[in-house]
Amino acid sequence: MSADTKSKILLVDDDSAITESLAPFLERAGFTVSVAVDGEDALLRSGSFAPELIVLDVIMPQLDGREVLRHLREAENWTPVILLTQVGEASERAMALEEGADDYLNKPFDPHELVARIRAVLRRSALGQPSLTAAQRLACQDLLLDRTSRRAWHDSEELSLTPKAFALLEYLMTHPDELITRDRLLDAVWGWDYPAGIRAVDTRVAELRKALADDPSDPHYVETLPGQGYRFVGAVEVVS
Amino acid sequence: MQAFRNRASEERQRFLRRLDHELKNPLTAIRAGLANVAAVPDEEERHRILESIEAQVVHLGHLTTSLRKLAELETRPLERLPVDVLELLRTAYDLALEHPLAAERQLALVLPERHHPLPPVSGDHDLLSLAVYNLLDNALKFTHTGDTIELRGFANETTVVVEVADSGPGILPGDIPHVWEELYRSQEVHSVPGSGIGLALVRTIVERHGGQVGLHSEVGRGTLFTFWLPAQDVSES
Repeated sequence: MSADTKSKILLVDDDSAITESLAPFLERAGFTVSVAVDGEDALLRSGSFAPELIVLDVIMPQLDGREVLRHLREAENWTPVILLTQVGEASERAMALEEGADDYLNKPFDPHELVARIRAVLRRSALGQPSLTAAQRLACQDLLLDRTSRRAWHDSEELSLTPKAFALLEYLMTHPDELITRDRLLDAVWGWDYPAGIRAVDTRVAELRKALADDPSDPHYVETLPGQGYRFVGAVEVVS
Repeated sequence: MQAFRNRASEERQRFLRRLDHELKNPLTAIRAGLANVAAVPDEEERHRILESIEAQVVHLGHLTTSLRKLAELETRPLERLPVDVLELLRTAYDLALEHPLAAERQLALVLPERHHPLPPVSGDHDLLSLAVYNLLDNALKFTHTGDTIELRGFANETTVVVEVADSGPGILPGDIPHVWEELYRSQEVHSVPGSGIGLALVRTIVERHGGQVGLHSEVGRGTLFTFWLPAQDVSES
């Protein structure tokens, strides 16, 4: 990647122990990095530095990460944001996405995972695809998802999905065409990292496939990558 | 009331002491590793030391996440859907068969005959699966080659009962009251890997579902872990 095509990342965290090692790590991964130490600094730099993506810690003094995100979105600033959040409940996670975050990552995390997420988010925005995160309603072929009401329809018939299956479908549809490991789904939708919990992911994917009549050997929606994870293969559009 | 406060305070003291212990060792290992890595010229040796440090850090990460999950479980609202306990037990049993230690134990699944099905339980399928699996994982870790482990499920109209019985070494009487506590690790088994959170999770999950946990053990004979859950109609009445 040549110097003039390096993507600009704004890293926002009040903990210098984190930024002092994470910023150089991101730079070695090929990004140009600017660091903000609190919410107000973040808003200032989002203007002056004009980053292509913001990595934003949630828990900060004065203006916290959520408020920064709200300010940005209210000002029609759709710069992609990855929240570093200690989100517990599934509803909190869903809210993080609804508030306009493109992705979130729980601490402690593997820095390589952060780089992978940054690259995936930048790839989508580079393709000129609109951010799916602000969208209330998403569609793919005959599938329609309404995130606010937590309802989904296939071939105009409403689907009866468990809350976890819905959250799983929502996560897959807001990260289309991206390989997502079962560990990541377990963390993103359940908030767990128990190896035994991996089966819960498979069970919910099976539930989704059955509800969508999606054949795993010729999928229209959810593809299995054996030994790796799942990928949502359908083209996802924002529905007004 | 004062007795309750004293007990809560004692539990908190015990928990903090154990947390200190769980953190101390990995942190000491990390510092020793870092001191070594600075002094070692050989690249391959440095790499090996750094990998070892990373393993300690990942372990601390798991500990943090486990404690966070436990805290959340105690407070967040529970998903309440009908759970098919038979299916849940069969799935947990199949998963246990894949455990690295399963080949060295005799596992068995004992369920009621077809005309006595288990009534559904109202709750979170994934949490209850985790509870059953943790009991099986615990039994696998703390028994020896050739021991039997039996997973049983049965019920009456109001209560569903799940048991995990093993023919292992048993738990010392002094340890029995503490086995369910967070980070508790008996001196007898301190060499067995694990976080010490597994059983605390089982207890929290079962109690949040309106149930109870029980334990009976005899040194030299074996251990029986039990939990009782109210059947769906009962818990909603």
